[in-house]
Amino acid sequence: MSNNSAIRVTRLNKTVNTQEGMLTILDGICMEVKHGESVAILGPSGSGKSTLLGLLAALDSPTAGEIHLDGTALSTLNEEGKALLRKQKVSFIFQSFMLVDTLNALENVMLPAELAGIKDAKQKAEAMLTRVGLSHRLNHFPNQLSGGEQQRVAIARAFIGEPKVLFADEPTGNLDGANSDKVADMLFELNQENHTTLVLVTHDLALANRCQRQFIMDSGELTEKDAQLRSVDTTEQQQNASEGESEVSTWN
Amino acid sequence: MELALAWRLFKRELFQGQLVLIILAITLAVLSVSGLARVSERLQVAINGQASKFIAADRTINSPVEIDTAIIVAANDLGIQHVKNLQFNSMVFAGDKLQLVTVKAVEADYPLKGDIELITGKTQGLPALGELWYETRLGGILGYPPSLELGNKAFVLSEEISRLPDAGFNPFASSPVVLMRMEDVAATGVIQPGSRVTYLYQFTGDAQALEKFEALAKPLLNTSQRWVDVQSGDSPIASAVKRAERFLLLASLLGIALACAAIGIAAQRYCQRHYDVVAMLKTFGASSRQIRWLFGAHLLLVTLVGVVLGILGGFVLDYGISQMLPVEIAAYSPPYTRPVILGLATGLISAFMFSAYPLMRLLAIPPLRVLQKQLEGLQFGMWLHLLLSLTAMAVLGYLYSQSLTLTLTVVAAVLLLGVLLSVLGFIMIGAGHRVGMRTTNPLQLALAGLRRRARQNAVQLVGFSSALVLLLVILALRQDLLNEWQKQLPENAPNYFLVNIAPDESQPLSSFLQQRAVESTDIYPVVRGRLTHINDEVLISNAQKKAGETGRVGISRELNLTWRNTMPPNNELLEGHFNQKSNEVSVESGVAERLGVGIGDKLTYNIDNQPLTVTVASIRAVHWETLQPNFFMIFTEQALQPFAYTSMMSFHLDSSQQQVVLDLIQQFPTISIIDVGAMVEQLRQIVDQVSLSLTLVLVLVLLASALVLIAQTEAGMATRQSELAVLRTFGASGWLLKLATGFEFALLGGIAGVLAVIVAEFTLYLLKTQVFELQVFMHWPWWGIAPLAGASIVAVLGMWRCRQLLNKSCRELLQPA
Repeated sequence: MSNNSAIRVTRLNKTVNTQEGMLTILDGICMEVKHGESVAILGPSGSGKSTLLGLLAALDSPTAGEIHLDGTALSTLNEEGKALLRKQKVSFIFQSFMLVDTLNALENVMLPAELAGIKDAKQKAEAMLTRVGLSHRLNHFPNQLSGGEQQRVAIARAFIGEPKVLFADEPTGNLDGANSDKVADMLFELNQENHTTLVLVTHDLALANRCQRQFIMDSGELTEKDAQLRSVDTTEQQQNASEGESEVSTWN
Repeated sequence: MELALAWRLFKRELFQGQLVLIILAITLAVLSVSGLARVSERLQVAINGQASKFIAADRTINSPVEIDTAIIVAANDLGIQHVKNLQFNSMVFAGDKLQLVTVKAVEADYPLKGDIELITGKTQGLPALGELWYETRLGGILGYPPSLELGNKAFVLSEEISRLPDAGFNPFASSPVVLMRMEDVAATGVIQPGSRVTYLYQFTGDAQALEKFEALAKPLLNTSQRWVDVQSGDSPIASAVKRAERFLLLASLLGIALACAAIGIAAQRYCQRHYDVVAMLKTFGASSRQIRWLFGAHLLLVTLVGVVLGILGGFVLDYGISQMLPVEIAAYSPPYTRPVILGLATGLISAFMFSAYPLMRLLAIPPLRVLQKQLEGLQFGMWLHLLLSLTAMAVLGYLYSQSLTLTLTVVAAVLLLGVLLSVLGFIMIGAGHRVGMRTTNPLQLALAGLRRRARQNAVQLVGFSSALVLLLVILALRQDLLNEWQKQLPENAPNYFLVNIAPDESQPLSSFLQQRAVESTDIYPVVRGRLTHINDEVLISNAQKKAGETGRVGISRELNLTWRNTMPPNNELLEGHFNQKSNEVSVESGVAERLGVGIGDKLTYNIDNQPLTVTVASIRAVHWETLQPNFFMIFTEQALQPFAYTSMMSFHLDSSQQQVVLDLIQQFPTISIIDVGAMVEQLRQIVDQVSLSLTLVLVLVLLASALVLIAQTEAGMATRQSELAVLRTFGASGWLLKLATGFEFALLGGIAGVLAVIVAEFTLYLLKTQVFELQVFMHWPWWGIAPLAGASIVAVLGMWRCRQLLNKSCRELLQPA
């Protein structure tokens, strides 16, 4: 395995038991993501995108195959080991923001830093919130913030621990057009500033196209999109946008 | 770090009102324990204090000889105050009149409890040396002489006693009492070696010291010495105290059980709310240890706030009650240690045991839930939850009541409720399949709702039903106990006893009372006799038995025997028929059991040195607590009439009729009058105090029930909102949804009502037979009232809780909660 790999996946399988029998969700997935790269995983609902994300982020265990995250084979870790790995190297952004309702913006951002035992968590959190343009909202609670603001808090929270890999699950899925763009801009800016590896699961082709590489998940199989197809999609996206449709996705 | 985080979460959730329910539940559990512990301790002391006035001390030892000095040394060591009094019978002379009196010679500290009541009022003083205080009727008999002679010494008669604090209640104590100083006894020369005297050692001190003293002193007593405390014996006070005490314990126990149920439900809700937080924390790399600490500390903070509030609330409750109590009771302040420790233990045990299961589920939430919302992690068996809850309840119950029977009864009731609920849940799910999902009829919609939430409903039913069970049990017991006491103390309970009525006075006395419109009991003739043989077998005394003699043990004293041709009122025929033939006798059930006699056995008595043999024809139950003349043995008139007898009776006079007593003393100077009015009054006070505490307990139980109801509707609110959103979106009208919700809650309440009646009847059966010794009967009206009440209460509370949801527009409903 190359030392330059942030993520390396080999022959990954995931099957689950259902009432109708065994169901294969992921079938022989292989992929490699280099440090600092941004990749998007696209695919229709139920294609296995989120399952793959869960496995890559060490939230779930595969049926077969191996995942190396920043050089560590996940199969060698127990739950506590995986938690430690996540604490040190990984961060997340979710479609539903996943902020703690009862904590204010500042406290939400401080949370992972505190869990990791970072001493100046408060100062760092303030700096991160200022960075995402929310210095005037530090003491606001999630229900006092708009969707876009909540996701910016989530982005600040994701970057406070200076993760090596950031997993984002439909980060703009719950946002309208303007907010969606703003959040995406912020995400990519911070990603570049911090040289973070970004793995993004989305339906949104425009968002996907801002990533360096795109993978398509279909019926449990993963293929990388080539450059030519990428340019066609961009044209389609532009046309759709000009017809007044926002957030059009081929996969819905 | 986890502690800081826990503190922050706690602070935020506290101020945002997220913890209100669980804190309230814990507060209520702690409040009922600490508050009631102090209230019941106060009442207990008050009741005992009232009752101990009847023995003028907390403990008394009656002995025919002086007691072992080791006992006195023990009392001194423990700081227990004591006096030695002497009681004996002797003749007094006043000019040419003589009268047998009971002499009570007392030490300077007498009485340790209560006051001597003189005709002129209460006093703490005692007769001076050379003086005698005398009972009013002695004055009547002797014609109020200025002095009298007792043995070799002349005494000045200085004060008239209306009641001594340890006069006791024995209508057969026929000789009038005189009170004198112990120091004067020697000068009278009445007491010689071998004289029949009773030493009355009286003790008073704090409860702990008395307990130690009892443990030390009792083994040092011989068989002729008797240990007397307020609760020993069949006195009406003792039985009232015991029952009241048990009831208070039970009610608090049930209050705790209910508050625990509220804690359980609130804890479940609390944990569910944190599922996503735990998933998120795990995703960000929190270790299991960190999460355990975080939520452990969080819960501990919640519990501590609940405990502190509960203990403070308990004191407020206690203060409030003490304001309502008579001054002398309110003045007594029991130590705070026990209520505080009990409250703390209750808070900690109930919070941790009842939230253990929801907390385990919370900690098992997988991090993957951040991506897959439906994941809830490991499903532990419900048996674990049940086991933990029952253990918590049993531990708390035992800790509080120290009574295994009470604790097991409560656990048995909870188990029965559990079984019934499982069966019902099963039926509901099964029957649900046959119910259509038509959404035009509110009742159909309500049934469908019940079916959809079958599991959740089963949990809800636990709360509704246990609240109702407790209410019913408390209500029934309260009523039964009050009725029982009331029966013993009817408004016109006899307050005067007349004894020593000569045969030729019966008729004039009846006319005397009739003329003055005084209602009296029948006149009971009294013949004294000793039981000597049962079926020709010679009876031996307890002392002989101890000395190694073999044989049946009889009653080692003379009995008061009476005759009647009809059953006395307040007696109950248990076996056989009441005296039909001249040689038949009716025996009281307790004494029959002790002697081992039944119908057909032959009893031989020695009366005036003549044998009299009769056959047991009936066994009677006697309510000794009633202030009526009561007898162990009732003969026929033919059997006893040949013997010398006097008679007794009792009647009621109200305070305006005091002249009757004076007239009676004048007209019938030889009849002894015993005034039990003061005793009756004190008994009534006790009943009043206990009633007050029962009412308070009921209020607490009601509060706990309401809390359970609110906690439960709260828990189901999110699901209900999404269901309502769907139904509204698909066009269900507002009134349809309101009606359906109303019906759903009403049905749930109705079912809870039926379950509650079943469990309440079962619990009452156990309690009445095992703990309270009360008559068992079914409460038929409940079978209609409880389901109706359950339906109405639950419907109203449920609708009230859901009113905001039901008034929301479709768009508002669709927004996440």
